[in-house]
Amino acid sequence: MISGMIMDEKIIEFNNVTFMYDAEDEETGVVSAPAVKGITLAINRGEFMAVLGRNGSGKSTLAKLCNAIYEPYEGDVIVEGMNTREEENGDKIRRKVGMVFQNPDNQIVATIVEDDVAFGPENLGIEPKEIRRRVDEALKSVNMYEHRLRQPHNLSGGQKQRVAIAGVLAMQTDCIVLDEPTAMLDPVGRAEVLQTVKRLNKELGITVIMVTHFMDEAVEADRVVVMSSGEVVMDGTPQQVFSDIEKVRAYGLDVPQSTALCAALSIKENVLNAQQCVDVIDRICGGVK
Amino acid sequence: MTSAIEITGLSHYYNKGTPNEVAAIKNANLRIEKGELVAIIGHTGSGKSTLISHFNGLLKPDEGKVFVDGKDIWQSKESLRESRFKVGLCFQYPEYQLFEDTVFKDIAFGPKNMKLDDEEVKRRVLRAAQLAGVKPEHLDKSPFDLSGGEKRRAAIAGVMSMQPQVLVFDEPAAGLDPHARKQLIDMIKSYREQTGCTVIFVSHSMEDVAYLADRIIVINQAEIAMQGSVSEVFSRGDELTSMGLNVPEITRIFLMLREKGYDVPKDVYTVGQAVPHIKRLMEGGRAI
Repeated sequence: MISGMIMDEKIIEFNNVTFMYDAEDEETGVVSAPAVKGITLAINRGEFMAVLGRNGSGKSTLAKLCNAIYEPYEGDVIVEGMNTREEENGDKIRRKVGMVFQNPDNQIVATIVEDDVAFGPENLGIEPKEIRRRVDEALKSVNMYEHRLRQPHNLSGGQKQRVAIAGVLAMQTDCIVLDEPTAMLDPVGRAEVLQTVKRLNKELGITVIMVTHFMDEAVEADRVVVMSSGEVVMDGTPQQVFSDIEKVRAYGLDVPQSTALCAALSIKENVLNAQQCVDVIDRICGGVK
Repeated sequence: MTSAIEITGLSHYYNKGTPNEVAAIKNANLRIEKGELVAIIGHTGSGKSTLISHFNGLLKPDEGKVFVDGKDIWQSKESLRESRFKVGLCFQYPEYQLFEDTVFKDIAFGPKNMKLDDEEVKRRVLRAAQLAGVKPEHLDKSPFDLSGGEKRRAAIAGVMSMQPQVLVFDEPAAGLDPHARKQLIDMIKSYREQTGCTVIFVSHSMEDVAYLADRIIVINQAEIAMQGSVSEVFSRGDELTSMGLNVPEITRIFLMLREKGYDVPKDVYTVGQAVPHIKRLMEGGRAI
């Protein structure tokens, strides 16, 4: 269990952060439009935060600012007290905050599952016995231990993504940033990855930042942040964010079908999934007579 | 009238003749009529992509036959070549295949290969750009200066410009945000309405399938497991779930209500369809 006190501790802080690709054209001196602008945001330890927004809204940029892949143009990103601007912090930050990307085939390097998971800790120069322990533990955490000797290319997309997550866990990171981890998966693969992420968050207390286009995934988070044109435009619990259907749609997003159905029926309660929807309808109808 | 695509007894094996031989598609029989809009669903690795790669002869069947517009495509070199023009395939993330220095040239690549004259090529490029929703001002730009969604439209226009009788999309909306997804799905819908062409699409989004398709073909473990109208297929929610698929959230709500004993149909899959049924239930509930 994560206590309220731990939740109050900030693991990553964005202080007025602006970032642009190709900041300045050398010939013309024209400054390009920022991908994120003036973002101030604190991610609490133990939180599961979903980041939503249209393509090009700055979600992936935000994700990559979290572990010093990108350095802010203006402002600071502070990870567990370390500023991502300072080069000597880079390695330390990347051990605290791991990333999982969209395409599982682009992030698996080894020919055997367990070797792939060991790749990170091996690079840190950790002794073999400890690596063995971490790899086993990480693979068990994502329910891939029995597949440890298989070849990654024979795994399903959902299994590959779980191997990628195990690779991050083996680094003993406190926080995982996932950039659309389920975009290329089928419904079962999506469910596997989401369940894994939720379990790591609830049971191991790992902070999760997940960029997604799927509203049914976002409703599983503790907190939903909506981005538009590089800015954070909504920030709250899934109930708070999805209760404003008009606003959510105006930002190019959608609400779950359950939420839309209840709104169309003028049911005032905040409903986020099929089960809640059925419960509300059942209650209003007073059960089957 | 001949079918747009007919497949009889089709099987395809990978690693054929080795101990690792696996059937990617086994004894498939299907018929897609002209003008139909058909969705193909199935879990990853079920054989969907292998199946659609047979539609224009990218893969050769190990057993069985493929007919396009009534012609056996493997009958001769000419019939095979003809099938490539009649059936356009648009792969997943087609924007990765853009390569020319302007969008116009990229869309023109196919028609040029068909040895059409410049006037006809231009006519086709403009028509395809309009159908795919490529903005006229983007035609002279480099495809690499466009946004993700715009690139995808340019790539799709490159297939449309061949004016195929059958257009096959492999997960056309993968990776797009909900707004861009909706626009793309609407674009496919209006393409079919405007051209009357046959459209086949592979999707993992049951909501998109419900919105777009006339008919669904379900592939499971290399075999065709179901074929039927959208309502027929989605009313078999439990079977779909056991195949690693799901049904639209609305259908799930209705199946759960039925389980509780409520008298609601099981073939409801959009919010619009659902509202009157639930209203009826709620009014009944209050009356008691």
